[in-house]
Amino acid sequence: MPKWAMAIDLDKCTGCGDCMAACKLENNVAIVDAEQAADDRVMLWMDMMTIYEGEYPNIKLKRIPKPCFHCDNPPCIKVCPVHATYKNEEGLVAQIYNRCIGCRYCMAACPYTAKVFNWYEPEWADEFKTCMNPDVSLRMKGVVEKCSFCAHRLQKVKENARADDREISDGEYSPACADSCPAEAIFFGDLENKESKVFKLSNSPRAFRELEDLGTIPKVFYLSEKE
Amino acid sequence: MEIQRRDFLKLLGGASGAIALGLYGCRNSIDVPERLIELAKRGPGIESWKNTICGQCPAGCGVSVRMIDGIPVYIKGNPNYPVNRGGMCPSGHSALEMLFNPDRIKNPQKRIGVEGSRKWEKISWDNSLKIVSDKMKELRNSGLAHQVAFLNGNAQNGLMDKHFAQFMNAYGSPNYYSFPSIKNQTVPYNLLQGVEQIPAYDLLNAKYILSFGSNFLEEGYSPIYYTKIYSQLRDQSVERRTRLVQIDSRMSLTAANADRWVPIKPGTYAALALGVAYVLIREELYNKNFVQTSTFGFNDWTDSRGKSHIGFMKNVINNYYPEEVSKITGVPAETILQIARDLGNNKPSVVLGGQGAEDNTNGTFTQMAIYSLNALLGNIEKEGGVYFVDVPPLAELPSIVYDEAARSGLEKTKVAESNDYTYPLADFSFDAFTKNILNDKPYPVSVLFIYKGNPLFQTLNHHEFAEALKKIPLVVSFDSCINETSEYADLILPDHTSLEKWDAFSNVPSVGFTHVGIQQPVINPLYDTKNTADVILKLSSMIGQSVANALPFDTYEKEIRFSVEKLYTSGEGAIVTEGVKGAWLEYLQQRGWQIGRYNSFDEFWKLITENGGWWNPIRKQKKVEDLFKTSSGKFEFYSKNLEEAINNVVRKAGGESSENMKKVLQALNIHTEGDAVFLPHYEVVSIEENMPLYLVTYNLLTNRDGNSSNQPMMQELFGYTVHEHWNTWAEINPVTAKANGISDKNLIWVESPLGSIKVTARVNPGIMPGVVSVPFGMGHTSYGRYAKGIGSNPVSLMKNKYDKLNGIPALQATKVKISLAN
Amino acid sequence: MNVIDLRKTIKKNSKRILIALSAVIVLAMVWEIFGAPNAIIQPINYNHKLHIEKAKLTCVDCHLFVETMAAATIPNIEVCSDCHSGEPLSKSPEEVKLLKYIESGKRIPWKKIYSVPAHVYFSHRRHVTIGEIKCIQCHGNVQELTEPASHPLWLATMKNCIKCHKENKVTYDCLACHH
Repeated sequence: MPKWAMAIDLDKCTGCGDCMAACKLENNVAIVDAEQAADDRVMLWMDMMTIYEGEYPNIKLKRIPKPCFHCDNPPCIKVCPVHATYKNEEGLVAQIYNRCIGCRYCMAACPYTAKVFNWYEPEWADEFKTCMNPDVSLRMKGVVEKCSFCAHRLQKVKENARADDREISDGEYSPACADSCPAEAIFFGDLENKESKVFKLSNSPRAFRELEDLGTIPKVFYLSEKE
Repeated sequence: MEIQRRDFLKLLGGASGAIALGLYGCRNSIDVPERLIELAKRGPGIESWKNTICGQCPAGCGVSVRMIDGIPVYIKGNPNYPVNRGGMCPSGHSALEMLFNPDRIKNPQKRIGVEGSRKWEKISWDNSLKIVSDKMKELRNSGLAHQVAFLNGNAQNGLMDKHFAQFMNAYGSPNYYSFPSIKNQTVPYNLLQGVEQIPAYDLLNAKYILSFGSNFLEEGYSPIYYTKIYSQLRDQSVERRTRLVQIDSRMSLTAANADRWVPIKPGTYAALALGVAYVLIREELYNKNFVQTSTFGFNDWTDSRGKSHIGFMKNVINNYYPEEVSKITGVPAETILQIARDLGNNKPSVVLGGQGAEDNTNGTFTQMAIYSLNALLGNIEKEGGVYFVDVPPLAELPSIVYDEAARSGLEKTKVAESNDYTYPLADFSFDAFTKNILNDKPYPVSVLFIYKGNPLFQTLNHHEFAEALKKIPLVVSFDSCINETSEYADLILPDHTSLEKWDAFSNVPSVGFTHVGIQQPVINPLYDTKNTADVILKLSSMIGQSVANALPFDTYEKEIRFSVEKLYTSGEGAIVTEGVKGAWLEYLQQRGWQIGRYNSFDEFWKLITENGGWWNPIRKQKKVEDLFKTSSGKFEFYSKNLEEAINNVVRKAGGESSENMKKVLQALNIHTEGDAVFLPHYEVVSIEENMPLYLVTYNLLTNRDGNSSNQPMMQELFGYTVHEHWNTWAEINPVTAKANGISDKNLIWVESPLGSIKVTARVNPGIMPGVVSVPFGMGHTSYGRYAKGIGSNPVSLMKNKYDKLNGIPALQATKVKISLAN
Repeated sequence: MNVIDLRKTIKKNSKRILIALSAVIVLAMVWEIFGAPNAIIQPINYNHKLHIEKAKLTCVDCHLFVETMAAATIPNIEVCSDCHSGEPLSKSPEEVKLLKYIESGKRIPWKKIYSVPAHVYFSHRRHVTIGEIKCIQCHGNVQELTEPASHPLWLATMKNCIKCHKENKVTYDCLACHH
């Protein structure tokens, strides 16, 4: 059984924000208006963290793209009263919108604030409704959503591979962010496949995970040279 | 009767177009609101992809558009297109929001209220084109063809630019302009090296990169091209990889990714560059061989009349002692020493100059000072240095047979030509253009075409330009949405968006190889719009035979085919495909192979439209005279071109005398005297207002030039770096914040003598104390429901100041004060 | 029984009547929500049997994407006009209707009888090509139909899906269908 994971090379990432836009477009993530944004209700499946280090003028600025980490031991699934969020066999932490009752316990439980809540009925101008991605269902007001590692792409890839009667090759399944990254900083693949790029990167001396001591075992690895 | 449908289908290739279906019946689900179900109604979901060129900004990335049942739903980078190699920037993704924008102009509009009144009336294409062509014919017949002016606010690196120029030439008006003019930005390279082109930088082979305010990962001509290169540079370990040092007043995206950020006082980059030159010269770290054989004016020299002149070296040694430079720039002397030594000891090392350095009253001299470091290092046409790419072998448009009306029109002085001594080197000065229209000098403008661009939002003199627009009897705007500028137009002839139109782009400035990208419609036009190029073709046939002959094409698509055919016949380069990658190409070429082999032009055309473009990474061998097109045939530290240009102005001012020289230099904002004027040097930026803080502005990747403001996704992601969504913010250093009693996320006023804007303060150490930075892009007063009234426009605080040599707006030359709001 | 008696009877049995009435209402609601929809009448009385037997067509000849895409697609004029154009091939009044659609370029407003809600991803390819399920298993013996089906044979409810998935030991991970 594959175990899907991501590696983000922070030495290569420029923080251009392309992954954020690619993600919003691919996953039909609703866009809030100015007033709602002022209330901090912007929904980003792929967020960007900014960290300043050092004393002026010797400042280092690091921008860190932050999707859902799809933890191997996810705290969010334990608190869900309705089994709307769970970890599947392939290690994807799923969010099933039609089960979600909007209690937001999972949001509180997630130490990485990866989940977002639909505070409003998603609104699009009529014209924009024509260009929604048909592979991803639209969410309604009152449910929690988050990065799915573009699970719908996995379904397509699985279909392709099985139709041709072959295994999924490394790099074939790739979320929108990894696919589009101009710095080629995001890698995606199967952690169980010892030949995969992600497996190799996860074992790199540069690899680390966010808040590792919490025991959540994130499946998103960051790579950064310790300077 | 038996029909073998299977066979029939085989003959057809199994192709039956997209099939629309009835509605989804969702009666059995009660948990999803009906409205959302409505959203998901669509056809059978047949997927296809089409390659084209992104039109969100002029960077010209190749994109692949994913379509479901013929409707675009996703955009990603075209992995085979060599400029962006599958990469994208955030703004590229929102091209769909431009295509499906609810505020698009759906048919030609005629203004019925006063300028800016937002009262429009629908008009047919036939009637609107008749109004325009009648007016143009009338002017032409009465010998006033020159009174028609054309502003192209879009990409200048494409066929469209040539197309418009051809039309205006054949019609007989000298007043075709592009803005912001890239030729203005090439002035420093022209002065030093005689090349009217933006250089490309071979960063991949450099060991050390020193960037003076060149925000090439964010604001450059092609940020994604350089992001790809940056990513490749970072493949190596910290010890071995190329070092990037960024000098900038604020921590730009490039600075954030640099190994070191060196903060500098705005407007003083030239002093720092020459301080670095000082160290290179003193410590003999410069390339003596190159300087001796290929440069002019490094040492003191004597002219033909026996007059002695000081050279670059003496000027630098006398005036740019690091301690002195430190006082001017705010950069510690030891830092200057360090970066100069690193630059000199890690060859090949390369020096870049850009936005921060260029957009100021002293921009030309600053860029000259920066570029002269490349000459000191012997970087011209060297691996890991600077080079200029070849022009693609596209067919020239047919040569024009001028009739009398055209000839007499073209003989007239250009409207944009300055009346006083300013802008002697500018290709196009918006300032002079506006002033001249207001004063009817040298003649009034009767018709103005504006293609894309939004001067009433983007330019420093937008108040003046609004008045100028009011003065012009017929203003015709070609754009897809109504913006600040088109509100002042008399007619709006709506253009397609980039996903609906044909165009061809070639050689994006600073990209390191020759290339041509084909933009093609991925969807039929949604509304009653037309490609402006086709409108021009129509107009030219309506105006008269002599104009029509200059553009003998039925459609713009045919014109592109005509132009591209020469790529095919030239036998050079190759269509961008998966198999044809750089190293392989070079291998083949070296062994005398023709890399692209196509049986016919039709095959070539089919492939180029399928794959998105053509490129040629192999540059022709350069001779010395190709490299240095100056009068001395060398790199001129002492720019004879500049001397010539300024002397011309002095002659215009009443003859060569020290008196006149003084007058001219003053008009040009040059405070230096003597030979130093013609050498790269530091000019003080004069700021009259007595305010404590510098204001700098910049473009974000989410909204370049303010054009993405009508796209909700880009408005939301606008300030993703600081989590400011749908909002303009000002970045200030904690020191500045403390001195003004401001803390993070306070609302503050940023105030200049011209006005004030209310923005959110973001306090972080990524900016020099004494500097406020406000991103450009928001603060629209028009441009649709998503743009209007959101955020603030920093340009509204800036005075009408320019580099008086090349006409580039001085975006870093304003001082402001800040205070807590409410 | 006069009116008064009737009233009395009602009064006496009011509780029972109330229960019966509410049962009817509940049943009606259940029918409305979960029950079979009303018979669907298609714009053209298409004859599957005739096309399969006489014209020797197979399902995939007209439902073009059954084996390769998520949606099988219902053929419309582009597909029909491959065979039907100009002169009618039969004396059927239904073909006349079809030819009118083709001639005017208007699309045939077929009514879809099988559908899944927007939050469900259903792929024909997954079921037909990979799962090797015969069309007949879900759509019934269409080859014998002389007129269009008026009701779906099988409702795509989650219960029905899961039942089959469990029986055939295929995944019933939520993510397989909900994303």
